[in-house]
Amino acid sequence: MLSFLGRVEVFCFLASYLIVFGLELSRLLLGRSQVSRAVRVFFAVAGFIAHTAYLLARATETNLPPLLSSTRDWMLVLAWLLVLCYLALTLWKPDLAVGVFLLPLVLIVISTGYLVSSDVNPQLAPVAGFRRSLGMIHATFLVLGILGVVVGFVLAMMFLYQQRRLKQHQSLQEGFGLPNLEKLARLNRAAVMVAVPLLTLGFVTGVWLGLEGDERIRFSDPIVIGNGIVWLGMAAVFVRLLTTRKATGKHVASLTLWAGGFLLLTLIGLQILTGTELFNLETWHTTLPVEQDFKFASPAEPAHHQRVSGPHRQTDRTEIPRLSWLAGRGSSFIDLRPQR
Amino acid sequence: MNLQVVYCNYHTADLNVRERLAFPADRLGEAYSQLRANFPNTELVVLSTCNRVELYAAQENPSQAPTHQQLAQFLSEFHKVPINDFFNDLLEQTGPDVVRHLFQVAASVDSMVLGEPQIVAQVREAYRLATENQASGPVTNALFERALNVSKRVRTETSLAEGRVSIASVAVGDFGKSIFDRFDDKVVLILGAGQMAEEALRYLADEGAREILVANRNPDRAQNLAHDFGGRVVAWEQLDEWMAAADVIVSTTGADRPIVDVRRFRPIREVTGEKTVFILDLGAPRDFDPAIRDLDENVFLYSIDDLQEICDRNRKARQREVEKALAIIEQETDAFMAALSHRATGPIIKRLREQWEEVSITETKRLFDKLPHLDARDRAEIEKTIERMVNKLLHPPLEALRDEAREGTPHGLMDALRRLFGIRD
Repeated sequence: MLSFLGRVEVFCFLASYLIVFGLELSRLLLGRSQVSRAVRVFFAVAGFIAHTAYLLARATETNLPPLLSSTRDWMLVLAWLLVLCYLALTLWKPDLAVGVFLLPLVLIVISTGYLVSSDVNPQLAPVAGFRRSLGMIHATFLVLGILGVVVGFVLAMMFLYQQRRLKQHQSLQEGFGLPNLEKLARLNRAAVMVAVPLLTLGFVTGVWLGLEGDERIRFSDPIVIGNGIVWLGMAAVFVRLLTTRKATGKHVASLTLWAGGFLLLTLIGLQILTGTELFNLETWHTTLPVEQDFKFASPAEPAHHQRVSGPHRQTDRTEIPRLSWLAGRGSSFIDLRPQR
Repeated sequence: MNLQVVYCNYHTADLNVRERLAFPADRLGEAYSQLRANFPNTELVVLSTCNRVELYAAQENPSQAPTHQQLAQFLSEFHKVPINDFFNDLLEQTGPDVVRHLFQVAASVDSMVLGEPQIVAQVREAYRLATENQASGPVTNALFERALNVSKRVRTETSLAEGRVSIASVAVGDFGKSIFDRFDDKVVLILGAGQMAEEALRYLADEGAREILVANRNPDRAQNLAHDFGGRVVAWEQLDEWMAAADVIVSTTGADRPIVDVRRFRPIREVTGEKTVFILDLGAPRDFDPAIRDLDENVFLYSIDDLQEICDRNRKARQREVEKALAIIEQETDAFMAALSHRATGPIIKRLREQWEEVSITETKRLFDKLPHLDARDRAEIEKTIERMVNKLLHPPLEALRDEAREGTPHGLMDALRRLFGIRD
């Protein structure tokens, strides 16, 4: 069973989510159907289990939490959290049509993950202790902040759809439930209010992380610049919401939609630009897939050679420390030095 | 077993007849006392709603069952209404038709508003009161409990109850509840005091609306409506101020031209800002100029035409589900009647078996006394053979009885069996 779970591919859960999305769309035509709901939940749960197994397998393979291991894994964690939200809402309120709005974002995030590198981040991989913890905090705040933005984005879409329906006097399809405007506006505002402080903390810890250690962050790094612009945009929305008296639901929804859309576009765009060989943008955050020999070794066993698609671009570094993330736990480690 | 229902409903009788024959809740106890006195040993249940008055009766002995005339007489005497005023409006059903009728009523197939949910609660309450007044019995208990299950089954297996079909329910349920999360913190302003306003107000009150203001040119009618819903009357002359304060406006003034146009409403929006306002214009002709809805995106204005279209669509969708509901009801009626008839034939089958077993035991004992040399194995074989013979001989009459029972209580065959086999009750 465990070996089977270890062979799960990204395509497995991507396909499951695609089916779930198709079934969600069918609610618009078919209305409420117990059979369709059961099939939807089955595929969503199956996809989620496969997704979880994949992330666990990756964590075992890289000896890193998926949030830190690679850009692809980081994006898959974001998608995993979104699916968790979807599943919880679907089981709690079966009529809620949240999947129609949320699942396309899940599919986009996972598909983008296909385009970016799955190699271990060379800047985080060889460090341990405080720097690793800081890296984890940075990645956690960022992923939760972005999750908040995505949730706000989804709520904003639902708000605008619901408002349009009400203005046009359209009856809601049975089994295609949406929360009322008042609740959507309140939740949307709350999502932004939670997301921006988390993004700020993520940004601050990122700068701190960049200043720690021997190799300092470059503020000309495209990811840093992109994230900085995004953060400024979200902070502007945050301040606007705090200072505008009686901001209407549509006002909040429009702001969230624009800011959230911009954030998602920028983040995904940056990951594609920096995570693929096509554009060759250099960044501290990620790596390009370069075929190179690396040595996998266990502390208890003599090192042996294994060919991995490995880091990284900064091959001019003379001394690359050995990776020992779980030092003291008797775990395996990766020797990042190119083999001659 | 004799099952019977005598009833009038909105199909057969006008509202003024139904009103005169209806049983107010505080007089039901008295009605049951009289029914028990008039028809002892008869199980009775009274179902009285604004759309129907129905008397269900079940009697073990058909000769003692109340007649249509007797039940009509009871209604006449109890309500002090001349029998000729309603006798032609009173229908009667017996046997499986009673079961089918009650199942249709409970499943809301027979309701004025197809699929409306209140009737289930009314049937349940009628059954509870009959039990409380010791008027129901084993048959009516089984019948009403089954009816409630059938109602549940129809709701689960069909879409008969889906989609709202009254203007007020669509307005509040489909639109109002999609705009506001709660109504207990909203100000509801009613313009006019018509029946439609009252109905919409009832739905809003059910959703928790507490601050209700009524403005009407005739303050007396406004007072009555405000009193019924715990609201207060506000001056018609200060309408603009109250419209600015309101979150929900329901209008049914009956004016022959719009009383609120864009020119009048724009200054109100300037005062309120872009506060969300839900306006239900239930007047025909309209009370609010439709152009008001375009003043800003937080004005949600619905006219009676907008709502009627949705009601009609939902009603048609429900109509398509009637066939499915009737098929379920037919199946359940057959099952109930079969169970009921088996219940009626049960005692005679039991008595016949007992009688034949008594004979077989007596004769076997006599045989064993005469043949004392038989060992235990031989005796067991003989006992088994006699038992098989009894079963084989009983099989044809009992099977015939069961077959007949599928069509209703087979009184003739039961009498024949009693006489042929000398069965004593």
